[in-house]
Order: sequence, then C-alpha cells, then structure tokens
Amino acid sequence: MGNRRWRITALLSGVLLTVAACGGGGDSGSDDADDAAPTGTISVWARDSQQVFMSKLVELYNSKHEVQAKVTVIPSASFVQKLGTAASSGSGPDVASIDLVFAPYFASAGALEDITELADGLPYKDALSPSHRKLSTFEDTTYALPFTAEASALYYNKDLFEKAGLDPEKPPTTYAEMRDAARKIRALGKDYYGFTFAGACGGCNVFEFTPHIWASGGEVLSEDGKSASLDSSQVTAALQHYRDMWTDGSIPSAAKNDAGTQQIPLFTSGKVGMTALGAFAIPSMEEAKVDFGVTPLPGQDGGSSSFAGGDVISVMTGTKNQTGAEDFVKWATDAEAQDFLAHNGSVPVRTDLVPTIYAPQGAPYKVFGDLMGVGKTPYSVVENPIFNDNNGPWIKMINDATFGGDIAGAQAAGQQAAQALIDEAG
Amino acid sequence: MTSLAPGRALRAAEPSAPPTRGPRRRRASSRRSLLGLAMASPALLLISVFFLIPVVLTFWMSLHNWPLLGNPRFIGLDNYTRALGDDNFRSALKFTLIYTVVITPVLLVLGLFLALLVRRPVRGARFFQSVYFMPVCIGLASGSFLWLYLGQSQIGPLFDLLRRVGLVNSSSNLFAGGSTALGLVIAMVTWKVVGLQMLLLLSGLQSIPDEVVEASRIDGAGLWQRFLHITLPLLRPTLALVLVFSVAGSLLAFDQFFIMTGGGPSNSTITAVYQIYRISFNGFRLGYGAALSVLLMIILAAVSAVQMLLLRNTDHN
Repeated sequence: MGNRRWRITALLSGVLLTVAACGGGGDSGSDDADDAAPTGTISVWARDSQQVFMSKLVELYNSKHEVQAKVTVIPSASFVQKLGTAASSGSGPDVASIDLVFAPYFASAGALEDITELADGLPYKDALSPSHRKLSTFEDTTYALPFTAEASALYYNKDLFEKAGLDPEKPPTTYAEMRDAARKIRALGKDYYGFTFAGACGGCNVFEFTPHIWASGGEVLSEDGKSASLDSSQVTAALQHYRDMWTDGSIPSAAKNDAGTQQIPLFTSGKVGMTALGAFAIPSMEEAKVDFGVTPLPGQDGGSSSFAGGDVISVMTGTKNQTGAEDFVKWATDAEAQDFLAHNGSVPVRTDLVPTIYAPQGAPYKVFGDLMGVGKTPYSVVENPIFNDNNGPWIKMINDATFGGDIAGAQAAGQQAAQALIDEAG
Repeated sequence: MTSLAPGRALRAAEPSAPPTRGPRRRRASSRRSLLGLAMASPALLLISVFFLIPVVLTFWMSLHNWPLLGNPRFIGLDNYTRALGDDNFRSALKFTLIYTVVITPVLLVLGLFLALLVRRPVRGARFFQSVYFMPVCIGLASGSFLWLYLGQSQIGPLFDLLRRVGLVNSSSNLFAGGSTALGLVIAMVTWKVVGLQMLLLLSGLQSIPDEVVEASRIDGAGLWQRFLHITLPLLRPTLALVLVFSVAGSLLAFDQFFIMTGGGPSNSTITAVYQIYRISFNGFRLGYGAALSVLLMIILAAVSAVQMLLLRNTDHN
C-alpha cells in the first residue's frame, strides 16, 4: 500500500517537473534574444485526411530542429468538436492544422494566438494564398498561416468527349456548353451520364458549386460575412443550370443522396462525363487509368472560378511552448515544407513556388496550381451550420432546386435560414 | 418487473413478524438499514455519476448561451421560449412521433408472431430462436452501414432483388424518396431489434401456467379464442414492458437515420435527437442543444408515465 502511494507521488511529481520544464523552455525562449533556438516539445493536431503526409512532414521537421513535434491524428468528422472542447478545457495541442473555413470561428472564440508579427515578418508573405490569408485574419489580427491548399475544378472524361463527337481539348466554358456536352454524353447509352455531383453533401457543394456563382459575378455571402445572398440572380442561374442537366436526364439518380462518396467511383467507372472535384482526386483518376482532363469551373457566359480550400496552421491559446510552436508554424510555410507537401498530395500555398515545385508534375497539376491563386472562400463564423452541415440551408437549397424544380422557393427558404443563422451568431 | 417481486414479498411478510419492541430490535433494524444503504451505494454512485449529475449539468447548461468555445452567458429560460417557437425542432419531433407510431406496432406484432413460432417445444425451435436473435448482437451503426449498402441503387444486392421482382426500376434511388428511405430504415431496425422483443415476449409466454391453457382447452376454446382470451391478457405485463422499451428506443432514434439517410431526402428524416446533435455540434450552440434535450426528456418521461399507468391498470384487472 505505502509503496504504491509513494510510487504515484513520484510519478505525479515527475509529470509536474516535465510540465514545468516545458513551460520554462518556452518562457526563456521568449524572454531571450531572437537568436536563441527554440527547444522543447510541441504537440500538433491534424485530421485523418492529412495522415499520409503529416507524420512524414513532422519527421522531416524533427530531423532538422531542436524542437520535437508529435502529431495526433483526429477523425475529420469530429475535428472541430474535439479541438473546440479540448481548447475550452485547456487540454488542447500547441499547434493545430485547421480547415480554413473554420479559422474565423476559432479566431473569434479566442482559441488561437495572435501571430500578426510573425506573419508580417515573412519575406514571402505576399506570395501566400490570398484566400488563406483572408480567412486567417479576424478583426485585423492574424491568427494563422496558410499551410496546405486545395482547389476545385471540373474533371472531364476525354474518351467520352471524343465518342460523343466533342473536342476533348476544348472543355466547356459556359453553362450552355456544359449542358450540351452532358446531353451528348448521356446519349451514348443507357448507363452513360453527362455529369454528377454529391447532392447530399454540403461541404462538397460549397467546394464545387459556389465557383459557378463566383465565375458569373455573384456571391453567396457579403464580404464581411454579415449577410447571405443565396437569393441573388447568379445563384438562380447556377441552380437552373443543375436543374436543366437533371431534367435532361444527364445526372444519375445516385446524385440525390450522394454524401460525397460516390462521385469518384462514378467518374472512374468511365461512364460519367464530368464532375467537379479537387486535386485530391488526381491519384484516384490516374490509378483507374481514366483519360481525363481538368478545366476551371465555368460561369454562366464564360469566366471561371475556384474554391480555395485547404488548411491553415495556428498556435493554440494556452500553449506551453510558444516559441517552439511558432517555429513549427513558420517552417510549415517555407520552401522545404511546401516542396514536400507539393509532392505528397497537396497544392502548395506559395504562389511563388507553384511554377517550380507543383505545376511541372503534369497538366492537371498546373490547372490546380494556377487556380489556387485566384480561388475564393466564403468568410463566416457560421460557415459550418450554413454550408458544411449536411442538413443545412445551403445543401437543402441545391437539392430541392435541382431535383424538385421550385428554384425560387428553394432560394427563398435557403436565404431566410442562412440569414437567421448569421443573425443568431450576432 | 420481476425485481419488484422480492420487495413486495418482504413487505407482505412484515406484519406477521413478532411484535417485539426494545433496543435490541431497534439496533438490529438500524443495522439492517445501514447494510441496505451500503449494498445500494454502488448503484447509487453509478446513477449519480452517470445520470443525476449529467442531468443537473444539462439543465444548468440549458439556462445559458453556451458556445462550444468562449464564455457561457446566463440567459434564464430564453432557450426554452425559443424552443417552443422553433419550427425545425417541432418538425423533427413530429417526424420522430410518426416514426414511433409506424414502427412500434410492426415490432410488437412481428415480435409476438416470432415468439409464438419458436415457443413450441419442437426440435429446431432453439435454432430459430438463435437465428432470429442474432442481428441483436450486431451494433446499430454496423447494421445501418450494412443496409445502406444493401439498398444502394445500382450496387446493392437488396436493390437488385427489388429490381428483379419489378418493384423498382434500375434508375431509381430508394434513399432519395421520403417513404422508401423511411421504409428501408424501418426494415433495418425491425431486422435488428425484433429478436430482442421476441425473446422478452417468449419469456412472458413461458410464464403462462400450463394449467390455465389446459383448462381452457378442456372447456373447448379454439386456438384463436385461447390466444385472445388467455394468452393476450396474461401477457399484458410483458407486452407493456416491451412497449415501453420499444417506444423509448424509437423516440431516441438517431444512429440509423444519421447513417442511412443523413436526414434526407430534403431533411425529411431528421429525428429529435438528430436535431439536437445538429444544434450542438454543427451550430456549436451547446446551451440550446441542452434545452432541447431537457424538453425531449420531459416528453419521454411523460410518454413512459402514461404507458406505466396503463400497465398498472391492466395489471390489477
């Protein structure tokens, strides 16, 4: 009994000493002159979708730095909830890689450290993805740095284009051309479809549908995120575009309840002409040996746009090793880390590096690399309930309009529900 | 139910105990009550930690504007007044009630039917008991994923079967229609839980004394008459127990809809718990989610109380 109690006491004091040591390292780092190299350990949280490259990236960092980072991988579906609860109870990580759409929310809630000075001091700060930078800023303060990027574009099957009598080197550039191409591919046979999308996935459609609206000069949210514009004429036109393709019979019925899992299999089956996806899908397409092309998502009468997705990386409030955490965050944007990411499934966030480290990997890579610099992202602290919630106003509007046909009614309901969510958040 | 029986027996035995008074008896009785408390304390502790304290905390949270991050702000009963006018929650409640009303008789009738089938002491009855019970051992989430695949258009075997029979055509999508999606969920839940109901009802059936059945047979009662006038009345307590379980389970349905329909098509299959989940973990409004949870708990308690009341009345008849 006595022996055991002694052991527990020893263990506890050991833990306390370690904590104190970490804290001490951080403190002395910030007090000393800048040339003192940061030390200690840091914890980094990332999502399971980043599992492939994240651990290797951290190994690369650890091999060359005094600071030792340790990654914890969290399931994507519960990342925001887990990070939120951990942060509010003070048990969060030192560094977190956060889906950029959630950055305004975490910044507004005080979960992220102010790193404005660090961000402004970067020599390549103007070359970082503009959309990532915007999402990392809350009330003129920078809370995160761009980390990984992703862009959306239209994949099309060149074989099917050729069979349907379309020019595989001239992908559609307007709604009318896209609808026409879809119809011609549908005519190839009973099992062939022109286009598919994930009709029950909010996050997929903010990625794949909003670019049509932006390319036509419309918006889904105002600049400051305070008012929704789901009832604008550009949204009407984009919904009408999907509705037309559905009434033409060009879209398979599987799209109605696709939660984002069927798009790639349908396209790689070689029987679907077009679908909008990100750079993450390139490996699947190459593996399936589909002869595919990638082209920017078109606007109503031309123009193009893309959703700038990906992650930003932040120092979490309450970190015990601020200098170590800041060192890692800064390293994540430099040439070494970005070069590694570019060859391991992520679009780089450095527009200055895209031509040398990413675009040369092939034609689709070049398209995504170019799009990253022009991509947009809706800015809102209630992005999740409006857009990413699979039962939220955004996906309900698209699903109702496309498959139901009452576009005006769907838009009015969507606009009202989205604005209500914004107003509730204050 | 059966746990009440010993207590009742004790109480009945008490008056017949010798009416001795004095310090010895008092000491004995206080020792006895202490012992009782000691023996009940593990259960009390578990109930406090996993039920009472969370309930109190939930109620406390429901009085606040409680974001996932940041500081909670006390707002009194605002969450409750807002909930009363919340159309989304009301339609979620309505759907939950419809689901409960549809699935409860299905489960009860089918469970009773299966119990009657496997009750007879013939060889193979045990085997079929196990077969019918087997899906109960599968997790609800695993079962939901399994059926999601089975019913998927183009690739699912169940879909293929229905197509060959001519009930659906190859381009349709069962999960995209409100009633077909609900139908698939009900089919899955029935497959998943009917075995448990069968087992509970079987134990009820087996507790019916053979003499009663035999007496009625001698009196010339037919199969149907025996079922209607002997089996059913004597089975009432068990039926009521199964009913309370089944209704409570249906009112708290979440996993099957979350996985199989994702609340769709067009948000038509969102249950009350699903809506609470959305408010709390998509909208990050934990305080409002807590208020809705408290309301749902009150509704559940009321429904269960009504059923218990009915059970008590029938018990005394």
